[in-house]
Amino acid sequence: MSKTTVLDLRELRRRQPRFTGMDPGHRACQGCGQSLAAHIVTEAAGPDVIVANATGCLEVFSTPWPQTAWRVPWIHSLFENAAALAAGIETALKQQGRPTKMLAFAGDGGTFDIGFQTLSGMIERGHNVLYVCFDNEAYMNTGVQRSSSTPHAAATTTSPAGRMRPGKRHLKKDLLAIIAAHHLPYAATATVAYPGDIKAKVRRAMAIEGPTFLMIHAPCPLGWVHAPELTIKVARAGVETGLTPIVELERGKLVSVLPIREKRPVTDYLRLQGRFRHLLGDDPVAVQEREHLQALADHNIETYGLLAREGDVRDSVTAALVRRGGAIR
Amino acid sequence: MNGYDPASLARAAAALPGSSLDYEVGSWRELRPVHDHRPAPCHIHCPAGEDAQAYIQKVQEGDLEGAWATIAAFNPLPAVTGRICPHPCEEGCNRGRFDEPLNIHAIERFLGDMANARGWRLEMPPLAEEAPEVAIVGAGPAGLAAAWHLRRAGVKPVLFDRYPLAGGLLRTAIPLYRLPRQVLDGELERLFDAGITFRGQMKLGRDLFLNELEQEYAAVVLAVGLQKPRPWSVDGAAPGDLRYGLALLEEWIDVGAAPLEGKIVVVHGGGNTAVDVARMAIRAGAREVHLVTTRALPGAADAIGPEDHMQAFPREVQQAIEEGVVVHPHTTPARLIIRGARLKAVELAAIRAFKDERGRTKRVTFEGTERVIEADVVIPATGEIVDHEGIEMLPRWRDYLASDRFGRIEGRPGLFTAGDASGRGGSVSAAVGDGRRAAMAVLLHLHRIAALPEEDAEAVSVEALQLYYFDHAPRQEPPLRPVAERIRDEKEIEPGLDAAALEREVQRCFSCGNCLACDNCWNLCPDFAVLKTEEPTEDGSCYVFDYDFCKGCGLCAAECPTAFIRMVDEPTPAFGGAG
Repeated sequence: MSKTTVLDLRELRRRQPRFTGMDPGHRACQGCGQSLAAHIVTEAAGPDVIVANATGCLEVFSTPWPQTAWRVPWIHSLFENAAALAAGIETALKQQGRPTKMLAFAGDGGTFDIGFQTLSGMIERGHNVLYVCFDNEAYMNTGVQRSSSTPHAAATTTSPAGRMRPGKRHLKKDLLAIIAAHHLPYAATATVAYPGDIKAKVRRAMAIEGPTFLMIHAPCPLGWVHAPELTIKVARAGVETGLTPIVELERGKLVSVLPIREKRPVTDYLRLQGRFRHLLGDDPVAVQEREHLQALADHNIETYGLLAREGDVRDSVTAALVRRGGAIR
Repeated sequence: MNGYDPASLARAAAALPGSSLDYEVGSWRELRPVHDHRPAPCHIHCPAGEDAQAYIQKVQEGDLEGAWATIAAFNPLPAVTGRICPHPCEEGCNRGRFDEPLNIHAIERFLGDMANARGWRLEMPPLAEEAPEVAIVGAGPAGLAAAWHLRRAGVKPVLFDRYPLAGGLLRTAIPLYRLPRQVLDGELERLFDAGITFRGQMKLGRDLFLNELEQEYAAVVLAVGLQKPRPWSVDGAAPGDLRYGLALLEEWIDVGAAPLEGKIVVVHGGGNTAVDVARMAIRAGAREVHLVTTRALPGAADAIGPEDHMQAFPREVQQAIEEGVVVHPHTTPARLIIRGARLKAVELAAIRAFKDERGRTKRVTFEGTERVIEADVVIPATGEIVDHEGIEMLPRWRDYLASDRFGRIEGRPGLFTAGDASGRGGSVSAAVGDGRRAAMAVLLHLHRIAALPEEDAEAVSVEALQLYYFDHAPRQEPPLRPVAERIRDEKEIEPGLDAAALEREVQRCFSCGNCLACDNCWNLCPDFAVLKTEEPTEDGSCYVFDYDFCKGCGLCAAECPTAFIRMVDEPTPAFGGAG
């Protein structure tokens, strides 16, 4: 590539008709769902934010010394205290009379497990922070160890599939219900398969004075063992099988869901990912675990009322539609 | 930064702020995404070579004149083809595998009508003094198309026709309810305005002679069509007052009357002319109209293959049946029952096609299936053949003029043929496409182009599309005029789209194989390595890949709804370090 073209592209990048909080050159894996989610969140949140980022993939791949991918003020916390750090900065800013919104970013390890206590405290004290959990369902940064967010029966390096046990023994923690129990103004789930939905939810949360929580399902090609180009298809299959409920809660009460137009069997989701490969066979254990996961998906569908009804304008199809000139909102 | 003494600080604390933009992760890439415009099936299926995807895109962008110009670059008669072409584009349309195909012909017709109403013209190079002159014999769709493409290349075409007015069978044989003549006249006006000369009442072998034409003109294109009915009788018998279908049709179109009122009419034939004649008979007040054909109904399952289907456009057959024509498929007139010179009845018998051991089709009439239907008139419409008068010396293929697919006649450099006379016709669009190819061959002969256009590439299949980015939407199709009304007058029976329906219809296009400008690649790149441009780029999209940062994950290609992005091997793999 000629030098002129490179300069033209740098200039073109500067003139892109949207804000983004992250530059490329970061070291995320090919097809990284978390990187995509972080791009989308920072685009919707805009430049007037400060980000407190827990230890994890996002922190590591975005800030390889001596570079940073961040185009907004960003601070790295410990694994366990992104919410506390965000709360502290928010309090300081309030003292100074500056209304900057705080964002706290963490993975599922830093949210479901290690940082759970500080998250709970931040919400309980009512800080004006949007806490975003990028849920890729295991400790990917340290080598794909299971977390309390890892789904049942998924293989990780610490819950391997083998003769004794078909992947993780335990269930995925229902974190959203725990967050909901804080009666916070707004909590929602989203997925990279529906970027427009993420943006709408970030904007909604940003407009609220008080603690808000957004959990974004973000496939990890490395840890979930799928081809990098399948990130969106995997995420979408999660939604359409019912395994990834996309919902919004206000004061702990369910106010909206993304309804599924056509429910798909969980095998549509499982067969895309190597972490579930051991569940695809005909052996009794595989059959039983598949049925178990199907039952969990059905349970989600029933609990949240995820099936589209006649007359639903917005559903799992319409939320992703495109046309000339961009997405259809 | 400034004010710190890096040497006095720990290493990490001394990091000067640097952007990850300094690190070109593009070096990780093994595959790279590229924009790859492949033809949409509508394009591949169009015998005239029109790219419907391209012109529908222009309509989506609000550029109606540009859309029309995109058609006119291939076909000078869109208002005509938008009406009477059987639109194979719609059979090809990938949307047909999703819900219903786009109403492409209605979009084409809308643009063609608007061009005529507003007087749109395509920009033409000026005709130089010394521009070569090319004679084109036959001013039907093939001749008109050849003239148009020659004129656009700066060559001066002179059209000859045996009739006083141009248009060929579009004027003489297509019923008015399918093609109002002011539509044809609108198209012709534009051609003649562009500097195409027309000389009517010039018949080959009578007023025109091939050797003189070859001497006077730089090249000659024979687009003479099929004017002679195939001779017809049943075992040598025919009524004394026999009239052939095409002649009756021409008379009815010209004079507005046909002597069929109150008669029981049997039309023999399975092509478009037969169907048109049968529908004419209904309109001329016939008591009963029977269409007898040895073939199966279009698309019928009891055919031995496509060659056993009626060679008529399915929707025309459908409309004929709606209007009261009784079709007798797989039937042949076995005997004419004549008293004096007058027809009294026709004996029909069942006939079926079989493949013999050498793969040839033979037809067998079944003994014992004979039945007699009362009839006053039998009208043969079993096909037309080339009138070889004046061109007897040219090589033939079956009854047609023998030539290659660019209309070149072996051993006769400078002489070309196009359209129905070449045996490559069958529809107005096929003739238009054939005329264009002949024009290309003429231009090559005149050294005005370096090579003939290449064969069409493979179309984008529906499997390559990401259909979940589209939702179902009904095809916009205004209903035909009711039967009782439409058989009483000559007015067009199919209404066009209004502007609002046009807008809804073009939004249904998938843009197969071309950029939909939907932002998916721009939105879904985890590395923000897709940049949006302010102006359309050379490849017709409005995005460029920033290969400095693209890691080659393939997400953009996997989520491109229209299969416009393809992953290809990285030309020079470069691993292990910043770029």
